[in-house]
Amino acid sequence: MKTPREILLERHQAVVPKLNAIRRKLLNSELRANPPPHLWLSRWLVVPWRELVWPCRGIWAGLAAVWFVILAVNISLRDHSPTVATKSSQPSPEIILAFWRQEQLLIELIEPHRPRVAAPQKPALPQPRSQRRTEFLSA
Amino acid sequence: MAKSEQLPVAEARAGEPEAWEILFRRYQLPLYVYVFELAQDEQASLDIVQETFIAAVRHIGSLQADENFGSWLFGIAHQRCVQRWRRQNREARWRDEIADAAADIESSPDVLLIRREQEAEFMQRLNQLPLPQRTVLLLHFIEDFSLEEIARITGASLGTVKSRIHYGKKSLRKLFEAKLP
Repeated sequence: MKTPREILLERHQAVVPKLNAIRRKLLNSELRANPPPHLWLSRWLVVPWRELVWPCRGIWAGLAAVWFVILAVNISLRDHSPTVATKSSQPSPEIILAFWRQEQLLIELIEPHRPRVAAPQKPALPQPRSQRRTEFLSA
Repeated sequence: MAKSEQLPVAEARAGEPEAWEILFRRYQLPLYVYVFELAQDEQASLDIVQETFIAAVRHIGSLQADENFGSWLFGIAHQRCVQRWRRQNREARWRDEIADAAADIESSPDVLLIRREQEAEFMQRLNQLPLPQRTVLLLHFIEDFSLEEIARITGASLGTVKSRIHYGKKSLRKLFEAKLP
């Protein structure tokens, strides 16, 4: 006794060599010679997407929503906060004058004690050995 | 189709030729049998199998669930058959037979077993069935697709598929009951 599947498949066994030839031809031409353009994308982008992101898509969507809310709140708060640099008024001339006087005083205090930088000495040039000997003896 | 069957669909999606080799080897004969029993033409059936495999390689990205690879592949083949029939100006006949849907009746889950001396008669009887019934019975027999999968492959409603399987099996049984001593 056989199942219909067994009967149907057995009936067409003679065509298997032709199917094998078609399979080999396809594997050589379609896959190896002309790889579909999406294949490198599959390897580097789609596979990690399917393995890592897609199974936990609910969690990722939740996290994205939280970040979006945080970003929105941050932007809305930043718009209403007083901007110190732009809104502060210019300092009065008295304050500028006081700062200028303090700066001048500081310069006067520092100037006399500022260490003078000595001019670097020229490195001694090598002399002939005979001359060095006379210098040593005269000393 | 064995539900626990592990097929390297993810690897094929990543473009590994070895994975495609396994998938093609697994489906080449069942696919050919299905197409041949509908088209009754060896060369046309081989062409459709080849076109189906090429389309599978090019459009594997559109497959949503890897476990549906088999029904997806048979769906491509089915569409190719329909396109070919349309080209051969048999559209009217196909439409008439498709429209000949009966009531929604549950199919019996029992397995049909055929004795050796009845094999030729089985094939003859199968080929005498109306094309829509033959289509769903072939998908049911060859790959043991579920009713939902057959509905997806053929584009028919679930009720229509149930009805066609029921009446197809019923007409096949009539033959065997009549022949039994």
